[in-house]
Amino acid sequence: MASTSFDSSPVTGIPFGDARIALAAKYACKGPRYTSYPTAPQFQADFPFYKFQNWLETNTDKQRDPLSLYVHLPFCNDICYYCACNKIVTREKGVARQYLDRLGLEIAQQARKLGDKRPVTQMHWGGGTPTYLDNAEITELMHMLASHFKLLDNGYREYSIEIDPRTVDLSTIALLKGVGFNRISLGIQDFDPLVQQATNRIQPYRAVAPLVESIRAHGFRSLSFDLIYGLPHQDMHTMTETLRKVIALRPDRIACYNYAHLPERFSSQRAIERLTLPSASEKLILAQHIAESLLDAGYQHIGMDHYVLPHDELAVAQNEGRLQRNFQGYSLHMADDLLGLGVSAISQIGDYYLQNETDLGKYYQRIDKGEQPLARGFEMSQSDKLRRHIIMNLISGLRLDIAECNDQFGIDFSGKFAREIQSLRPMENDGLVEIDARQIQITPTGRQFLRNICMPFDAYLAKQSGEQPPPRYSATV
Amino acid sequence: MTIHRARAESPVNVKPCTHDYQVNCGNCRLSSICLPLALEREDIEQLDDIIQRSRPMQKNQHLYREGDHFQSVFAVRSGAMKAYKTTDDGREQVTGFYFPGEILGMDGISKNTHASSAKTLETAAVCEIPFSSLEKLSTLMPSLQRHFFQLMSREITEDQQLITLLSKNSADERVASLMLSISARNARRKLSATHFRLPMSRVDIGNYLGLTVETVSRVFSRMQKLSLLRVDNKEIEILDPTALQDMANLGS
Repeated sequence: MASTSFDSSPVTGIPFGDARIALAAKYACKGPRYTSYPTAPQFQADFPFYKFQNWLETNTDKQRDPLSLYVHLPFCNDICYYCACNKIVTREKGVARQYLDRLGLEIAQQARKLGDKRPVTQMHWGGGTPTYLDNAEITELMHMLASHFKLLDNGYREYSIEIDPRTVDLSTIALLKGVGFNRISLGIQDFDPLVQQATNRIQPYRAVAPLVESIRAHGFRSLSFDLIYGLPHQDMHTMTETLRKVIALRPDRIACYNYAHLPERFSSQRAIERLTLPSASEKLILAQHIAESLLDAGYQHIGMDHYVLPHDELAVAQNEGRLQRNFQGYSLHMADDLLGLGVSAISQIGDYYLQNETDLGKYYQRIDKGEQPLARGFEMSQSDKLRRHIIMNLISGLRLDIAECNDQFGIDFSGKFAREIQSLRPMENDGLVEIDARQIQITPTGRQFLRNICMPFDAYLAKQSGEQPPPRYSATV
Repeated sequence: MTIHRARAESPVNVKPCTHDYQVNCGNCRLSSICLPLALEREDIEQLDDIIQRSRPMQKNQHLYREGDHFQSVFAVRSGAMKAYKTTDDGREQVTGFYFPGEILGMDGISKNTHASSAKTLETAAVCEIPFSSLEKLSTLMPSLQRHFFQLMSREITEDQQLITLLSKNSADERVASLMLSISARNARRKLSATHFRLPMSRVDIGNYLGLTVETVSRVFSRMQKLSLLRVDNKEIEILDPTALQDMANLGS
């Protein structure tokens, strides 16, 4: 897809090279990934949870509305050095049993509060490593969920699970299909042996390929790969080879994440030798290489960091401007409310964000006392909802329809956001975004700078203007 | 008492079963639940309360129907059952056949209601384990729940593997795979792997495999001609298991 002239490609934007690297250097800063707005650091530890309880008890009209479930399974057998997830690395016997017992209590507790009549249109098991559970435990957990929530076995539903290829065999794939999953996400990250060794995640292609074949044979509706760029020892050569293998296996979706090296915050990342990491400009070249290779192979770039085959419903949805995003990634039919279950899980219900205890011991204590294990919360104001609308539209659909926004929120966008639009002007001059009276449109080049483009609309970043955002955010580019 | 003593290999402590059924508990897939219960609990009366045995069921009688609340799993003790779903346009889609010692009903796990209906193909009897009893007992025997979900996961996995196996491939491969599956299941309960009677009709076989009755009959004729099988109405004799394996293409 690399064009020979220096003109912008209609698909990938300004070709990689000095101009693009200069852009990346110019906009390199730290910022949120916007899986939610407001973002998790804004959630309050002293949140008055009774407000949420009261709201729940007075808003019983949602008892039949679709519901999305997220189940967090925190355990891993081994540490992957790049990981920044909430996880517990252990091989101690019985930890899964203790966790399932508490999860069962939380499931029963939440089903009583939210009602068991709401059709679960989306479910995702994430981690940690969901397949840390053995086949019997997977079956038991699904039984717990099915006996407390209204799970569906036909019609439109997205039931997905993250798989660590090292933890499953072909029988697990059959079981996952049998207990109702219709989507699988495989944590591939990179196929290069040296990269795998340097990140402590060794899973050769020859072990992954039979899993992929089995997933297809069992008729899963969608197979997704996670890839990471910016890992130690990655270069154009290793990435070319990894992409060749990925394309040969042809997953329906590819989520391609930018590795954020924050060793001061995530201790496992200290095992990664800084000198082996690609530089910022090398990372940019890798990102560009990924984009070009996957587009060449027939994938469509959607949202910030996803690639999908054209038949995939997410591709269709983005073309029609109906793509949505939440903590679980992109989706087509997003339920209004997301219930997170398990340690550290985040719920988004009505105008509230709620996060469970992130420490396993505390989570157990709260459950054992019969309490809701909530640690932090947030109630969205009207202004938060407006800004969320803007940011989520830009992140998912790459476009904000200004008239629609004015209608929905009863505002005059150009007046209310004059300062924000002003902050976007330099990005407009750099060809990242196009702004007129009708819309804000992200350009193909701008896609890589989506986080930068959204940041002016983030009221909580603006509040701390003058100082650096706290270091908990990763690099935007 | 539900434990049917096997003539030669029965565990010492198991009380003999007074009923004469086609399956003995040692060969039943539910035995990983029932046998530890029987061995550890003195009180046989109470055990009888947990594992419920149905009266003999007549042919074409329903054990459960699609949409029924999922509260028990069942083991076939004698006879044979078939599971089926009703399609949107009202047609029957056969989803499985179950023989003595096999477990059915697990398809309710992911929705808490049965995803299919089950009815008898001939006179049959079943054992039933309700979840509520299991939960009560799990406090007394913590390993029981673990055994139970282990069993469930194995059954679900095997069902799914068979469905996937049969959903691809040619008509020959499908029919051959089904015959081999029945043969292996017979062998598992210590019956002849090469000589058995099919309890289901050609229509049910065709429906299950996604083939017309005519195709099923044609494949059987071809198998006879190739001397892989002898078919006499419902009686099947496997003459050449290796060639049947080749036809099923299971190696690839």
